Amino acid sequence: MLKSLTAFTLALASTFAAAQANQSITMKVDGLVCAFCAQGIEKKLKGFAATDGVYVNLEHGLVAMGLKTGTDVPDAELTSTLTDAGYTVKGISRSAQPLSAIQKEHGE
Amino acid sequence: MKRFFTLPAVAALLLAGPPATAKPIAFQNGWTAMAEYGAGTMSEAQTYYAPKFWYSIGAGQLRLDADDGSFSRDITYLRTNALLKRWNLPKAQGNVFAFGGIGRATGSDFAGAETVGQAGLQADYETLRFYSSAKTEFHHATAFDHRIDTVQLGFAPYAHRYDGVATWVVAQGRDYTGGIYSGVEVALLLRLFAARSWGSVWFEAGPTLDGKLQAMTMFNF
Repeated sequence: MLKSLTAFTLALASTFAAAQANQSITMKVDGLVCAFCAQGIEKKLKGFAATDGVYVNLEHGLVAMGLKTGTDVPDAELTSTLTDAGYTVKGISRSAQPLSAIQKEHGE
Repeated sequence: MKRFFTLPAVAALLLAGPPATAKPIAFQNGWTAMAEYGAGTMSEAQTYYAPKFWYSIGAGQLRLDADDGSFSRDITYLRTNALLKRWNLPKAQGNVFAFGGIGRATGSDFAGAETVGQAGLQADYETLRFYSSAKTEFHHATAFDHRIDTVQLGFAPYAHRYDGVATWVVAQGRDYTGGIYSGVEVALLLRLFAARSWGSVWFEAGPTLDGKLQAMTMFNF
């Protein structure tokens, strides 16, 4: 009985964790005013093995990337990547929302 | 053409208002290719590679034809561009670039080929709707000296999306020294650009007040 209860609890926790796993990263970026110039950001972020799509919103100064299941990219690497692209990162957040939900949230 | 205004006056106007221009550096590990036809007075082709976002190296070819037909010059050069300062603001970006290079020049007003040095500065400031830039470049050879100063002021009728097409209306003023052009060459340009997964494309064209064509195209990849 105790064994079954433990197994059930573990399975539940695992399911919950999977459901809560981060699916995207959003970065607030300063200096993002020109699509022609911001193309370097997309190229760089697509270079990560974890990347599953990139979304850039110039009006809101944000860059978001989808994450492949069970993957992540450290903040330091993201900051370094955007700095090397010539931009200033003001904040990084992770979300269980998929990239498509972030796009929708910003009217796309 | 008579001088309708002076370049310092245009520069003052620039500083008073907000500013994007063709930047000589794309992005780290990016290539830039540019070609310009400047109303019959100048035509130039350039290509650069940027090892870092703050500098690029490349080569170009510049052709100058004096407006009175008295001479023409062809300059082939190697050049490096450096981003001296960038201001990344929440809704704007400002840049100061410097560039310098060396090349060979031939001309109808001197014999043989001469070594020519070039140096220049470019500053720009842009938002999603407003833009300005100022650029000066100087060429020196034993047989000639000349400077080309260009200012641009533009506005966008709408804020472009990253995956959309940007549209700008741009006024350009250009002043040549060294007897290349008398007065300030003024042009009104329509600029379009778009970023795609394989690269970015930029095209602008419009008439000068003399009714000549001013056009420029640029690719980043």
